[in-house]
Amino acid sequence: MPGAHSQWSSPTLAIEGNDDRLSLDGVLGIRTLDQARQALERWRKQRKSHVLDVSKLSGLDMPGAMFLCELRDKHVELAGVQPEHEALLELIGGLQRKPLTKPPAVPRWRQLVIQLGKGADDFWHDAIDITVFVGRTMSAFGHALRHPSSLRPASISRQIAETGINALPIVGLMAVMISVVIGYQSVAQLRPYGGEEFTISLIAVSVLREMAFTAEIGVMKAREEIDALNSMGLQPFDLLVLPRMIGLIIALPLLTFFADIMGLLGGAMIAQSLLHVSPSQDMERVREAVGVSDLFVGLVKAPVFAFFIATVGCMHGLRVRGSAESVGRETTRAVVKAIFLVIVFDALFSVFFEKVGL
Amino acid sequence: MSATRSKRTEPILSARGIVNRFGKQQVHDRVDLDVEAGEVLGIAGGSGSGKSVLLKTLIGLHQPDSGKVLIDGKPIDSIGAQEKAALIGVLFQQGALFSSLSVSQNVMLPMREYTDLPVSEQEQIAAVKIELTGLSADSAVKFPAQLSGGMVKRAALARALALDPRMLFLDEPTSDLDPLTASAIDELILQLNRGLGITVVIVTHDLTTLLTVCDRIAVLVDGKITVGTVEKLARSHDPWIRDFLHGPRAQGAMKARRFNHGIR
Ligand SMILES: Nc1ncnc2c1ncn2[C@@H]1O[C@H](COP(=O)(O)OP(=O)(O)OP(=O)(O)O)[C@@H](O)[C@H]1O
Ligand SMILES: [Mg+2]
Repeated sequence: MPGAHSQWSSPTLAIEGNDDRLSLDGVLGIRTLDQARQALERWRKQRKSHVLDVSKLSGLDMPGAMFLCELRDKHVELAGVQPEHEALLELIGGLQRKPLTKPPAVPRWRQLVIQLGKGADDFWHDAIDITVFVGRTMSAFGHALRHPSSLRPASISRQIAETGINALPIVGLMAVMISVVIGYQSVAQLRPYGGEEFTISLIAVSVLREMAFTAEIGVMKAREEIDALNSMGLQPFDLLVLPRMIGLIIALPLLTFFADIMGLLGGAMIAQSLLHVSPSQDMERVREAVGVSDLFVGLVKAPVFAFFIATVGCMHGLRVRGSAESVGRETTRAVVKAIFLVIVFDALFSVFFEKVGL
Repeated sequence: MSATRSKRTEPILSARGIVNRFGKQQVHDRVDLDVEAGEVLGIAGGSGSGKSVLLKTLIGLHQPDSGKVLIDGKPIDSIGAQEKAALIGVLFQQGALFSSLSVSQNVMLPMREYTDLPVSEQEQIAAVKIELTGLSADSAVKFPAQLSGGMVKRAALARALALDPRMLFLDEPTSDLDPLTASAIDELILQLNRGLGITVVIVTHDLTTLLTVCDRIAVLVDGKITVGTVEKLARSHDPWIRDFLHGPRAQGAMKARRFNHGIR
């Protein structure tokens, strides 16, 4: 029997005989099934009594056996079944062979309505979740402040290293390049510039960090590591969320400051090469044009963004259920949501600073 | 029945001088292994002894540091994708179901790729294979994340059977299952082997599976392999093999073996 399949050229099946009795010669399998079905269905419809001789079959696989069982159910008599084929027919014939259950099809317009409803529902739940999460974070924060010993300096400093120090090259490069671009534009349009624009590079970096938060925590969740922590009486919140949050809140303002400096450096470079303004003259002008408030605005915004970005990142990490696929999905959601939140808060800040007159 | 099938045939798969290293750790030290057509071969060994790596080497997923694997006398990496799919079905230790596809879609994927059967026919075949592995019809629409560990195993077995392969490689098929389901899977492996002539290679710690289903057993100890029937291995002087086959857990399995062979 194993020899039946043993050479790879496609297997063949010959259907011979006439009238009420046909015989199959060759392999009845997944590759010859279509042919057999077409020929035999026609024959079965034309004739009243049917005998199918399968004694010359050299190979039979499960789809083939399913087909034979089906014929048998439709009163086709199988003749000359070989013993090893009989075993297979018994195995397959003993099954119920129910068709796959399929979820009922929903018309397209209803799908749209359902999706809209689901979207609204998700939005509502997300809003609640974020609020709850922020609340829990605050309380964990408060607790940590009252019991500084429960803060984990080692993991916080590791987070600062990962968020801050490792991001220095990319933030620096981006700040320089952005200021070069802005420099060109301001030369063309005589537009003054402030530290404001460098926020972009920080948002980019913090969103990257956020993806890392979701993925790290999400993978731990998927592999039941979070459950393991809980079972040991350890709070994932204190252990995983707080260090990341505090790390980012400390690192991001520092990065902002660094980006501002690098941006000024880039500005000085462009001034030198385009306008032939020496760096010391450039510095003078910067001092006139850029107030302390510009720096201040950046430094105030940074920790707030850091807080929300870390919140969303960690929250989605903890939302991961089951599989690795869910990690990817939650990461995408976290990024979308964080960008949304950052834009909203940036707008709120602008309004606020406008009102206070900064 | 297994005793009557001791006739010597051409090995369907043979591995020669397999060496696998990870850094300084030598996992396999010139391992030779022949799998005969139509047999059920068990691969046993302690945790971390290199069973899964050996399995991956045998099916060409892991390139050994030296040595070669031949299937029907042909080097494994010279076999085309479609031919290989019809030749080999694999159940991975973690199931490796595609998480974005439902169970039935997982089972249908190889058929969709390699046959031109109409979808309705593919669905019927998938349904039968899913039923065969003991999964209920309503789990067919579930996604891997919604399955228990044991259900994942069974769904993965159904997928491994999708194209009626000539050879089935199973990495710990019964390790997450309750004893009754494990016995059902053992029984199914025997039926597939006897009814369809599928050659089966099982990596397992499960003594019952090893002693009641397998015709021969290959034991990996310290990077070396010892192959033989249970009777032959039971006389081995290797301490690990001796403890493995004569330990307290082996006694029950040995009884099951005698019982099983009595009625066969
Ligand atoms: N990709 C890899 N990189 C480094 N080492 C590896 C890798 N894969 C396996 N190993 C090592 O090779 C050895 C054998 O691993 P393998 O997964 O084959 O064990 P096993 O016998 O299947 O164990 P178990 O019964 O626990 O599944 C282990 O020591 C493992 O650490
Ligand atoms: Mg393994």
